[in-house]
Order: sequence, then C-alpha cells, then structure tokens
Amino acid sequence: MSESAIRTRRWSRVEYDRLIEEGVFQPGERLELLAGQLVVREPQGTPHATGIRLLTRALREVFAEDRWIVDMQLPVALDEESEPEPDVTVTAGNPRDFLPSHPARPVLVVEVAEASLALDREEKGSLYARARVPEYWILNLRDRVLEVYREPHPDPSSPHGWAYRSRQNLAAGEHVTPSAAPTARIAVTNLMP
Amino acid sequence: MQTTYPRTRRWTRAEYDRLIEQGMFQPGERLELLAGNLVVREPQGDPHAFAIELANEALRTAFGPEWRVRVQLPIALDDESEPEPDVSVAPGRLRESSEAKPSRLVLVVEVSQSSLALDREYKGSLYARARVPEYWIVNLVNRILEVYRDPKLDASASYGWAYRSVQSLGAGAHVSPLAAPTVRVPVADLLP
Repeated sequence: MSESAIRTRRWSRVEYDRLIEEGVFQPGERLELLAGQLVVREPQGTPHATGIRLLTRALREVFAEDRWIVDMQLPVALDEESEPEPDVTVTAGNPRDFLPSHPARPVLVVEVAEASLALDREEKGSLYARARVPEYWILNLRDRVLEVYREPHPDPSSPHGWAYRSRQNLAAGEHVTPSAAPTARIAVTNLMP
Repeated sequence: MQTTYPRTRRWTRAEYDRLIEQGMFQPGERLELLAGNLVVREPQGDPHAFAIELANEALRTAFGPEWRVRVQLPIALDDESEPEPDVSVAPGRLRESSEAKPSRLVLVVEVSQSSLALDREYKGSLYARARVPEYWIVNLVNRILEVYRDPKLDASASYGWAYRSVQSLGAGAHVSPLAAPTVRVPVADLLP
C-alpha cells in the first residue's frame, strides 16, 4: 500500500492564505496550492530561469503596461482550493488593482517545463482548464517546442474533470499569436533559452 | 478524485501542534498526522465505537492504575507523526505523568473494519518504525485479534519497518500483553 491510498486533508485557498499570513511556513519555502494540496515546487535551473525571462520580455512587448500586467511566479487566486504561482501570467489591469486580492482571471498562463512536463501537462493543464483560463502555454525545454493549449472543455478522463480541446506544438521558426493580443506575432525562437 | 503530486508539503509534529493551537482546523475535524501527512480519519460506525469501549474496559482492567489507558487521544509518536490510536497504553499514573502526549507506548490498538489495509500496512509500519513494542488490530471483518510484536527493519514496508511476529487469535483464544505478562485477556472480550 502506498501513501497515495490515504486521504489527506485538503486546504482551501482562504486557509492557505491564512497559513501564509500567520507565518506557518519556513522562510524560502516554495509551495503552491493545487486542488487543495500543498505541493512543493522543484528547484529550477538556469534554462528554466532563462525561459521565464525571455517569455516575460516578449510578452511585455506585446501586452502594453498601461492595460496589462505580466507577472513572473506570483500567486494566482485560481479557484477555492488552488493558488498556483505560474512561471508567467498575463492579466488585464494595473498592479494596484490586485492589492486586495491576487489576480483570479489571467488571460494567459505559461509554465516553463523541463522535469515537470507531465505535471504541467496533465495536472496543471486540467486545473487551469477547470478554472477556464482561456489560454495556457508550456514552454517545453525538453523538446524545444511551445505547446499552446486553448478552449477549456469538460473532460471526465482528466485529473480535475477539464482539459483543453485545442493543442498546438510550435517549433522554433514558427510564430504564436496570443488570443488576447490578436495582432501580435511572437517568434517561438525568441522564447527558447 | 484525489491527485497525488510528486511531492507534497510534509508537516512536523511541532508544526502540527501549532496549527491546532492557532485554530487552523475546523471544529470537529478528525485528523491524524502520519509521517508528515495530515490524514483525514474516516467516520466510524457503531461496531467500531463499541469495540473501542470493549478494548478500553479490558485494558483498564488488565493494566490497572499504574498505567494510562487512553482512547482516541493524540500520542507523540515521532517528529512527523501524531496519530490518535483507538486505544493506547503508556506507563505511569495519570496525575504523576509529565507528558501530556505520551511518547513511550507499550501497546497501541486500532479497531479496523474498512481501514484494514491502512491499519496493517501503513500504520503498522509507522508504529514499528517508532519501536512501539506491541500493536493490536481488532479486526472486525474476520472477527479476530491480530497481534503484532517485535519491530524490525523491513525495506519493503511503507516506512522501512514492520513487525516480525504476527499472530491471529480467534474468539476462543486469550492474549497476554507483553507489558502485563501475567494477565490473560479473552479475545472474546474484545469483539463486539
């Protein structure tokens, strides 16, 4: 029997925020709340960090700062039991809009994946789809492609009951146009470390 | 459906006690800290509750006033475990005891119906790892008492430890706890 057979206590996002406020966690702990579970984030290498910087730079050129915020690894109030910190998010608004609470409705979420590819595709993909995040990218460093997911739809076979209907794999040399910036063209090459 | 993530945050016993003190849990939540996991306890039916009363009565009689016989109360098992066994026995008179949560147990008892696999493999390994010398499962499914003794290293067990000796005793048998060797408890007294 493995530990997966036990039923562990799930945390709500409100409870998680209180744990943080009360200083329950150790300094420097890297956690995300995913579907009620406190998931430990893996350490990231320089390719991962470089991918995040390249994405942020490209997306800030496309999403003007008077109307959009492009965040790196900041919390998203995704649903009642999830508060992930995606590698990059794009949200409509200005920084002070989110003083009372973390952004809940990003128009684009991006994860940079190397070792975490399965987790990012299946678990997080299903979780973002369930929260109706309209567009989700995985910068897949292993295969050097940008995976573009769109159109969340119910899918009982997915971990959280939702998945993305449309998936495109874009290689270096191709371009991507975010749904929320339909006139933009971002070269995938510019995103690859 | 519960997803199993590669690595979830483990809690220490000190952190768990602090969460309780700070009122982080909802009233009436039934939890145990098992190897760093906050495990939700399943609701218990009437036979389960009755078997706990039976074990409590039998063990109080068997051990007498020099021992603490406790029902579903937390024990300080190890640095990342604070289970609440159905019945546990620790040495010392209650009023003279310095430990609110005993850490040196001589016997732990779980009453098991739907939780048999959990109690045998998962909790059994955890109690063995903490060197609890004797562990009983009142097995309501088969109406037997399972007696586990002699914790030893076992790489195939959930937590690297298991009990070397396993005895299954039927309703006609008697059991003598290791810590009360002159006492004979009829297994029938433990079965609802």
